[in-house]
Amino acid sequence: MAENAPAISVRGVCKDFGGFEVLRDIDLDIATGTTTCILGPSGSGKSTLLRCLNWLEEPSVGSIRIDGKPIGRTGEGKAAKPMDRRELAAARTRIAMVFQHFALWPHLTVLGNVTEAPVHVLGRPRREAEEEGRAILARVGLAEKADMYPHTLSGGQKQRVAISRALAMTPRVILFDEPTSALDPEMVGEVLGVIRELAREGLTMVIVTHEMSFARDVADTIVFMEGGCIREVATPHDFFTAPRSDRAKGFLFRS
Amino acid sequence: MTWPAIRTILDGAVVTAALAAVSILLSLPLGLLVALLRWRRVPVVSGLLATFVSVVRATPFVTLVLFVYFILPSAGLELNPVPAAILALTLNTAAFSSEIWRSALQTFPLDQREAAMAFGMSEAGTFTRIVFPQIWRANLGPLVSEVTILLKCTPAVAVIGVVEITRAASRVGAETYEPLPPFLVATLIYTALIAAIVRGQRVVERRIARRFGSVSP
Repeated sequence: MAENAPAISVRGVCKDFGGFEVLRDIDLDIATGTTTCILGPSGSGKSTLLRCLNWLEEPSVGSIRIDGKPIGRTGEGKAAKPMDRRELAAARTRIAMVFQHFALWPHLTVLGNVTEAPVHVLGRPRREAEEEGRAILARVGLAEKADMYPHTLSGGQKQRVAISRALAMTPRVILFDEPTSALDPEMVGEVLGVIRELAREGLTMVIVTHEMSFARDVADTIVFMEGGCIREVATPHDFFTAPRSDRAKGFLFRS
Repeated sequence: MTWPAIRTILDGAVVTAALAAVSILLSLPLGLLVALLRWRRVPVVSGLLATFVSVVRATPFVTLVLFVYFILPSAGLELNPVPAAILALTLNTAAFSSEIWRSALQTFPLDQREAAMAFGMSEAGTFTRIVFPQIWRANLGPLVSEVTILLKCTPAVAVIGVVEITRAASRVGAETYEPLPPFLVATLIYTALIAAIVRGQRVVERRIARRFGSVSP
């Protein structure tokens, strides 16, 4: 089953916050090895959907599978039961996340941030994890920062550390929650450059972003959301040149 | 002052230091435990602990000492003066320090915790590896100030017959009819103890600052 299963499959996901529907009946498949950009106006539910994928937000109803294996709840429909904490934690190790505000752990060095979960969650030998961590940091151009603490880094460097931390888990999927929104304009490029490189290498990525030209450039698939619904799933070419829905047209013209 | 008189006060100093040391080692972790249980909103326990903290915070320390020594035996817990003094000091500092721990837990950045969750860390792992190493450093100042308050509460345990620095000094004063010298010695010893604690805090803070550039996370 896992062989042909999409990297992520979302079925019938709804989410409401105190009666306010943020997500309505979302179905979505993300193919392995593709980059998907989720676009849409603020408040359209894109970050909430992304956070549902690793169960940081719990969908009110619906199911999510990573590589064919459920996350958050086991069983279908009425028989669905919440996973216990250990199962959920194990499921989360297959899906890494990069946060808008980096969310690095300030008491650990850059390398410590990168190796923390591989060593203490996956149980990898420290030496091996550190070697690998240094290699990943070198890949994002931060080899010489490995032993520094996060507070000494610029925003762009911090976000590249956060990406390294995600890569170190060798996850099936990496989720990016507006990875450049908290950055100064001159640092956006270096972070997008790293993500672009990862897309070229065939990582499976889901990116919530406001960077239109980046999305157009790097995505295999554009998911356009509005009002808690997916309004359009298209190739970047189709979406940016000939959006089908009026709402997407409105969104593109505005931005 | 005679040598035996000085000896009496020094013996008192040993008692004070021992009482304080044991109570510190017990009360700070206990305060953290109280804070964790309240923060996690463990049903029933959380409410009981909130009441405990409010009552202890509102009770003068001498009253608390008398309560532990004279009232608890009727509830089946009979303690000698020194254990009773340690219990009273521990309860007092646990209650006060739990408020420091609790506000540290409440204001701990949510995104760091979410990152830990997203990377599959258990709650225990998140606490021991991510939260705790940061909150004790960030709250070293307030915690040390609780510790100095604890030290300054110790004379109150004289009411149940524990002979610590102040009690020893007043005994010497009563015997010699010269209260000034023994109380000067007592003051010097308190100052030295507090100075040692504050000095320890400085050393640790400097080490933290060297590593992280600042004390807070």
